[in-house]
Amino acid sequence: MGTQTRRKFLKHSFLGGAVLLFSGSRIYGAVEPLQTLRLVQKDLFPKAEELGVDSASYLLLILDHSRINSEHKEFLRNGVQWLHEESLKLYKKLYYNLSTQQRQKVLQEIAKYRWGEAWIEDLLLYTMEALCSDSVYGVNKTDAAYRWLGFRAGKPHPKRAYL
Amino acid sequence: MIYDICIIGSGAGGAPVAYELSRAGFRVLVLEKGKEYREEDFNKDELAVSRRELFTPDLKEEQHVIYELDANKERKRYLGSEYGWSFWNGSMVGGSSNLMSGYFHRMKPNDFKPLSQYGKIEGANVVDWPLSYEELEPYYEKVEHVVGVSGEVVLHSFLEPRGSAKFPYPKLAESAVTKWFDRACLWLGFESIPTPRAILSQAGLGRESCSYSNFCGSYGCATGAKGSARAALLQKCDLTLITEAFVYKLESDATKVTKAHYYDATFKSHEVSAKIFVLAAQAIESSRLLLNSKNHFFPHGLANNEDQVGKNLIFSAGGVGEGRFGFERLSSKEQEELMQVGLFFNRSLQQWYEYKDGKQQRKGGTIDFLFEHQNLVPRIQRIFYDADGNILWGDALAQKIQKELTSSRVLSFEVFNDWLPTDECFVSIEESVQDKYGVPVGAIYLYSHPHDLAVGEFLAQKATQVLEKMGASEIRYSISSSPPPNLVAGGCRFGDDPKKSVLDKNCKAHALENLYVTDASFMPTGGSVPYTWTIYANAFRVADIIRQKLELEKSLFFS
Repeated sequence: MGTQTRRKFLKHSFLGGAVLLFSGSRIYGAVEPLQTLRLVQKDLFPKAEELGVDSASYLLLILDHSRINSEHKEFLRNGVQWLHEESLKLYKKLYYNLSTQQRQKVLQEIAKYRWGEAWIEDLLLYTMEALCSDSVYGVNKTDAAYRWLGFRAGKPHPKRAYL
Repeated sequence: MIYDICIIGSGAGGAPVAYELSRAGFRVLVLEKGKEYREEDFNKDELAVSRRELFTPDLKEEQHVIYELDANKERKRYLGSEYGWSFWNGSMVGGSSNLMSGYFHRMKPNDFKPLSQYGKIEGANVVDWPLSYEELEPYYEKVEHVVGVSGEVVLHSFLEPRGSAKFPYPKLAESAVTKWFDRACLWLGFESIPTPRAILSQAGLGRESCSYSNFCGSYGCATGAKGSARAALLQKCDLTLITEAFVYKLESDATKVTKAHYYDATFKSHEVSAKIFVLAAQAIESSRLLLNSKNHFFPHGLANNEDQVGKNLIFSAGGVGEGRFGFERLSSKEQEELMQVGLFFNRSLQQWYEYKDGKQQRKGGTIDFLFEHQNLVPRIQRIFYDADGNILWGDALAQKIQKELTSSRVLSFEVFNDWLPTDECFVSIEESVQDKYGVPVGAIYLYSHPHDLAVGEFLAQKATQVLEKMGASEIRYSISSSPPPNLVAGGCRFGDDPKKSVLDKNCKAHALENLYVTDASFMPTGGSVPYTWTIYANAFRVADIIRQKLELEKSLFFS
């Protein structure tokens, strides 16, 4: 995705607007959702980066798809807010200001909630889609992920990106 | 221009009629809601085809409203778009036959007379068909040769009478694991059957043979080996095909359909005239179109003056199960055999197509075995949770994914048994919800008779015995009343009594001289096999009837 396109996308995307955070009943501040989602994806599945898979770019690509409904996008965005609020509750810091160990603790805490488990599963699913994607989508450029999984992709491969 | 025949829907129900009538020299028009794709358009892009469902309508634009009976016998309403509940299969030229796996079984002779053979079941509208197996058999045979069926005929307890000793195409290449299956069956005294497939094992019929891509079901076939209505039939026809044509109304007088009205991709309305109209839009959508086509002569919907349209909707009952084979218990040769991808696992059991339950003779069904679908994302998704149901991530997840995908494989089974027709399972119209064309959507009222679950359970237990004997672990199954959207029939059942059926034996509407329905809607019961072969066979049969009628009219005209 080119810089211009990405900027244009972010401007119109639900990921472009800041998410307001509350600590107790008071407004604490605001965060950019994309920065958080990128970090959570890394924390959830660091293997993707090792395999040369660009999960963050895939997330931008897929969340712009017409078949991803607005309720789902809203849920992802709300999850960013709730994650940071859990982080503030536990450590009085935003998620991305925590140590690796502390971030894992926050993830373990939110996984106890139904929303948290579903939110983690959704982000993992998008990472796995990136991992399984054809090279035509530009986020899984080498065959490292396929080799790691012993996977033989079906042929013919797509000639163009359908997403 | 007045066409000789206008066919609405180009799938397995419509294409045989188009094929036969166009070859006989008649002017044929096919109206298809979806787009046209050809072999060169198909690929194995899991994200587009399976994850984002490229070939089915977006539920935000076209959906159904579903009413499910809960345990208290109350209906719970589900808006399809809200719950992601889709009853679409394949909206494209050739319909869902493009995306089928092509497990082809014929119905058995007793499937045509279930009431006489198995007796009345309380709460179910089981009837005998007005047609016998013997009458349909030549058309099953025809499908083998025209659409192309590969397999090996073996003797077993419920082998149906056949007009020929062999399938026209030899069976597809098989995984060596089928030998493990056959050995287990031999030990158990079960009859292992190679599953016939509507897939060419060698080039023929102007099509290439299977390329063993490892991605068959849910995907379009890039070689044309799969016997889709498009590859096998429509691509060989000289006819007029209009794509992205959504038929929203059939116009009629008291005795005949006179016009079909459709919207094109820009929502512009058009009308066409024909001597004969054939409806084959898929079971639910065919009933919907008739119910939406009210007029002065048919105030409750076309051909619905006896309130039968949409009634007795059926699905395939049964469920799915599986077992996992891990490397721990296997020799290196067996490990290699297990992981060899591309080759088919074509095995079925039909030994309990009928069985004794005490003194009662019961109708059973079919069990098909197959390797777990090779789509990667769902295979990984199922590993997200540990044995205690906690979600995993990080290194723990990565290790589990790699271990399970590289050192084990899942063998699945599917159970097919009758979904009994009842008064509680039917199609209606939801006037308050419209699709993108502004047309009221179909409402699907669901109910599964308790008998269906009991039979499915019996069959699933037989299937698990094979998996146990083969040495599988993590064996599990689920028999449920969930309707498989790709195995739907009924709604316009055929029969001799116009008060209890929509169509006559020839699949012509009792109430109209020139309206035929040739998709799975005609089926009063479903048999205990996937429907596609029967839909194809019946559509070829009706095509013969229509051709004879048109030829007679033509000869009378010239004389």
